[in-house]
Amino acid sequence: MDHAAHPVDVHPEPTTFIRKYIFSTDHKVIAKQFLFAGLVFLAVGGALAMMIRWQWAYPGTRVPVFGMFLHRSGGIITPATYQSIFTMHGLIMIFFAITPILIGCFGNFTIPLMIGAQDMAFPKLNMLSFWTFVLSLILITASFFVQLGTAAAGWTTYAPLSTNIGTPGLGQTLVVAAIFVTGAATIMGAINYVTTVIRLRAPGMTYMRMPLTVWGLWLTAILNVLFVPVLGAAALLLTLDRAFGTQFFIAGAAAVKGGGDPILFQHLFWIFGHPEVYILILPAWGIISDVIPFFARKPAYWYKGSVLAMVAITILSAVVYGHHMFVTGMNPLLGKGFMVLTLIISVPAEILFLNWLHTIWKGSNRLTSPMLFALGTVFVFGLGGLTGLYLGTIATDLYLHDTMWVVGHFHLTMAAAAFLGSFCGIYFWFPKMFGRQMHEGLAKAHFWTSAIFITLVFCGQLLAGFAGQQRRLYDPYQYTFLKHLLPLNQWTSYFAFALGFSQFLFVINFIRSLAVGEKAERNPWQIGTLEWTLCPSPPEHYNYSPIPTVYRGPHEFNNPELNKALGRDWVGQAEQLPPAMAPASAKPAAGGAKS
Amino acid sequence: MQALKFNSFICLRWSSQRLTSPIPVRLVALALVSQALPAAAAVKPESGFGLPHDVSQNGHLIDWLMNITHVFNIILFVIMCAWMAIAVVKHNRNYPAHYDHGSSKHSVTVALAISAVIFFIVDGNLFVNAISDLDKEFWNFDKVAADPKTVRLEINAHQWAWDARYAGPDGKFNTEDDIVTWNDIKVPLGTPIYVQLTATDVIHSFYLPNLRVKMDAVPGQINRMWFQAKELGEYDIGCAQHCGTHHYKMKAQLTVLPVDQYNQWQQLMSKNAQRGYDPDDKTAHWGWEWKEVY
Repeated sequence: MDHAAHPVDVHPEPTTFIRKYIFSTDHKVIAKQFLFAGLVFLAVGGALAMMIRWQWAYPGTRVPVFGMFLHRSGGIITPATYQSIFTMHGLIMIFFAITPILIGCFGNFTIPLMIGAQDMAFPKLNMLSFWTFVLSLILITASFFVQLGTAAAGWTTYAPLSTNIGTPGLGQTLVVAAIFVTGAATIMGAINYVTTVIRLRAPGMTYMRMPLTVWGLWLTAILNVLFVPVLGAAALLLTLDRAFGTQFFIAGAAAVKGGGDPILFQHLFWIFGHPEVYILILPAWGIISDVIPFFARKPAYWYKGSVLAMVAITILSAVVYGHHMFVTGMNPLLGKGFMVLTLIISVPAEILFLNWLHTIWKGSNRLTSPMLFALGTVFVFGLGGLTGLYLGTIATDLYLHDTMWVVGHFHLTMAAAAFLGSFCGIYFWFPKMFGRQMHEGLAKAHFWTSAIFITLVFCGQLLAGFAGQQRRLYDPYQYTFLKHLLPLNQWTSYFAFALGFSQFLFVINFIRSLAVGEKAERNPWQIGTLEWTLCPSPPEHYNYSPIPTVYRGPHEFNNPELNKALGRDWVGQAEQLPPAMAPASAKPAAGGAKS
Repeated sequence: MQALKFNSFICLRWSSQRLTSPIPVRLVALALVSQALPAAAAVKPESGFGLPHDVSQNGHLIDWLMNITHVFNIILFVIMCAWMAIAVVKHNRNYPAHYDHGSSKHSVTVALAISAVIFFIVDGNLFVNAISDLDKEFWNFDKVAADPKTVRLEINAHQWAWDARYAGPDGKFNTEDDIVTWNDIKVPLGTPIYVQLTATDVIHSFYLPNLRVKMDAVPGQINRMWFQAKELGEYDIGCAQHCGTHHYKMKAQLTVLPVDQYNQWQQLMSKNAQRGYDPDDKTAHWGWEWKEVY
């Protein structure tokens, strides 16, 4: 454990505005930068979603409010605009909203604080990661303003549609470039996270004493390091096809001669793309796996099982991507192999669910806003996971593939769960990040509206998909067999608009709390992880001086002996107890290996 | 016959409409309607929630598998919700938390046992049935190839239409008696239809909601699928893969005919095709030599 205590080179705290708030190397400042950027683009992605929902409820009619951005078509969404809208909704939400919030913000903020480090292993690389990310934001924003509009080939960017055959124009090229650049930013961040967790854990912070948040983020970072380069390769080859006349992904009569392989693009995309869905959900799983025991005032049930389950899912996520391609003409044997591997993911997922449920069972549950969001995440992820079974099985996927069922399923897992998980983290760490408390009543109102409407929206999509509605239809009612779904889709849209409006509860709360929120104390939630017990709110530059020594795991609540001795139901991870007060009971807490 | 040169697909459709007179009255009426209105006018709309009307010989297998999984899932989901509800109501802040790391041998065994039971019942059921359905039905091309009744069909998808090619009386594709249709696929009742498909420009996906199957049409590669209808009527054919601006309009009609009507239609269409055949029109000869085995 010698190396673990290695501190970063301590530079004096910057004093100029630019070094302190703009080009900062402080992980806490970079976390906030990612948070603000992510929230802005979450609003953009949400606005695009509202436009899609409008189109499905009132096809071809003038869009209220957002119609002003469509002045060329008199405020209505045209088929060409529509395909750009759903493409950019997907890309922005995944790469420019969830990724910066869950990974950029919480990864940066919590990893060094929760493992007892003074900063990231490579603070300058961290800064470079954020500013590379900003470059990709500029590219994606610029793509909206070029001739022929922005990308339109779907977020999956399948070739040959994404080549000049399907989407000519600079917009698609800029977006592919933006994906490449944001991939580079992600890899820089991920290298930092992986290294920081391996090298900079405080003495005594063994892997089995790490908060599950850090486990989730660390596994995410490992997946990012391994698989984002594959996306980079695909984006680069696609750029060559678009700009330099190569034919990696072009075939058929559209190819002048010879021809590449459109399916190759899908392999490259999904080798990245399936780990990506776990990249987006693992941080949320980690966060809620911590928040649930924190507010159940109980040790996390079978901590080691949760860790192993997350590790198992991380490994499996790399070998199941073929289930996205069951109907591409894949070799049947290969398809069946992917089906088995996909179904096996149920096992670790069930372990995680059982651990969450066992943790709240016989707990002393406090329904604070972070706890509500955590339980909401369990609820929507439960729905999302169960509806995925039909898609991992080839026979049922023959019917449901590329229908709204898929859309409902992955929105419940990636969107609803990541969304509620993100807000769980925001409400939970806000006092530590900004030194102020959020308004609990508004937070709870935000939870109930968000959780109810988000569930209704995505269940509406599931129903439409079960009735056979394909994805990405400008006007589904062109099909006779879908005509009767108009009322269903309208109701789904009303719920979506309600969901959109309810986000103002968060915006108001966030701005109000930043400006005039009550000053937060050091440990408002009364829990034992390092950042809450040892740092003021907000933490000082370089977090810990000296670096603490860790004695136990993060979820040591209501230990009967310690309760009696300390007069409170929690004990800090770095709290050294006099030998008389620390009987054998302190030991099992270390990683929860025995009970 | 000069007019045939610019677009053989349109000409073939034109001739099919002119030559429908010997076909029974019902079809004549249909053809007349389809001249005036879009083809989909004949498709009956669905109603209510749930799956579209199943008209396939094997789609009930998929429906059954989905429905039984619904039952399992609803049970699991209700248990999960009840568990959460009871815990937060009963074990609230006034309840003394039970100190338990859940890592005893007993706890771990219970957790693993529950997971294993759920896995073997729910996932196991899906796996076993899916493998059997694929091997016996949906991906069993040997059975279809061996059936003497089987109708073979080549489909070429392009932005934004479906071209279908029937081999004609000689049984060979890309010859002068081939019947080529545009967004209009007619098949005989109760007969396996063996489809091979490709695309010209971008990826499309041939989707038959009432028959529960779909298959991607990929440029540069020939994919295959098969289906068998058990009910007469007209049904929507959709594109399931985003393929550009007018993806939503890439719609065709599947017409299931009684076998004798289908045969009559074939004869007429083929005669007409031979009259309109132009060896110089290269774009019209997009068919390929049929390969039975991959």
